[in-house]
Amino acid sequence: MKLASPELRDRLASEFVLGTLRGPARRRFQEYLKRDAALRADVARWEAHLTPLADHLPEVDPPARVWSRIEAQLDRSGGTKSAAATTGFWGSIGFWRTLGLGASGLAAVLLFSMLTVKPVPLDQEPVLTAVLAEDNNDARIYIEQPKSNLLTVKMVKPWKANGGIAHELWVIPKDGAPRSLGVISGTSDTTINVAGLDARLANGALFAVSLEPPGGSTSGAPTGKVVCKGSIAWMPPKTARPNSQI
Amino acid sequence: MADIIVNDRLASLLSQCGLGNRKAFAELYDSTKSKLFAVSLRIVRERHIAEEVLQDSFVNIWNNAAKYAAAKSAPMTWMTAIVRNRSLDIVRRPMVEVADEDDYFALNMEDATPGPADQLAAGRDRVKIERCMKGLDGEQLQTISLAFFHGLSHSEVADHLGRPLGTVKTHIRRGLQKLKGCLES
Repeated sequence: MKLASPELRDRLASEFVLGTLRGPARRRFQEYLKRDAALRADVARWEAHLTPLADHLPEVDPPARVWSRIEAQLDRSGGTKSAAATTGFWGSIGFWRTLGLGASGLAAVLLFSMLTVKPVPLDQEPVLTAVLAEDNNDARIYIEQPKSNLLTVKMVKPWKANGGIAHELWVIPKDGAPRSLGVISGTSDTTINVAGLDARLANGALFAVSLEPPGGSTSGAPTGKVVCKGSIAWMPPKTARPNSQI
Repeated sequence: MADIIVNDRLASLLSQCGLGNRKAFAELYDSTKSKLFAVSLRIVRERHIAEEVLQDSFVNIWNNAAKYAAAKSAPMTWMTAIVRNRSLDIVRRPMVEVADEDDYFALNMEDATPGPADQLAAGRDRVKIERCMKGLDGEQLQTISLAFFHGLSHSEVADHLGRPLGTVKTHIRRGLQKLKGCLES
């Protein structure tokens, strides 16, 4: 990797911060960073530019055990600053690396965490999220499953009240017919109890809302115009999946 | 104004952490954990790995808090960068399903009620990057969003969108150049 050209340096800094610089290229770049103050400045500038985007992510509470572990780790080091602290901010990379987290040590740490981790109970965290948008990409609805037995349908941009028309929510599996989750309010948030509906959500790839007669479609399939739709993000995973990582 | 006050508070907590104040560290953790956990979870996808990332990152934040002032960046930017770097350092996962609408939503959320997340933001920076993101064409916005929010690599973005790798690389490179022109204008 030649870092002579300012354009190349800046491009690599931008892709490092964006996250698309991966594997050996990422590690080589981190080596350059340690000894190149100008490059660190490039990275800092891109971080200042791009990281505010993360402010939009919906917050997720970590479990209490994380804090317990942090405290335990600090207690083990006597609550004082470790020697790694003396190398400065970008020394933090060195700090991680010396812990062995850059290479094979990472496997050991992950393996240990997998052996000790318990599957996360479904009721603790969101199971799925989806954003339903119009064809022009304007978001209308945000759907979340905060608990295994509950779907919340939140209006991003409510429709105007229209007494004669029902908004019906459908889940569409990867290959199969739409399944109705019932009529939702077009003007305010709706909570849907999904107890016993898990089969309907299974393999769901998309949510869609169609306009239907009052009370909803009588045919079991959408009959009116689809006013918004969005793919389902199954995240975070329902349970820890140890085998998928290493 | 709220942004500035929160940022000042976080910066003050960081400097106290630098002096070894564990109580300040606890407050710093409580103020930022949910936001930073969300950042990592998006990238690493596995809860237990995101927990490891958060733990390592906060130990790192504690150990490096004294050096924060020298970084000359907003406190959330500094901490988010640590969490993102840690996440990207360890992420190694099979292709996962992502919803790009999710990110479109994230960029269109301004009408939503400001939550704690918004109050933590350095508002001016956020407004600027949002404005510049909106100046990208659709493919550039989509590829850059997938990479940033979900931590997807070039080839993962290409797989996800069913586009050739070279095309994706070009969209990202040109999008970043365009962003730079806008952000630094």
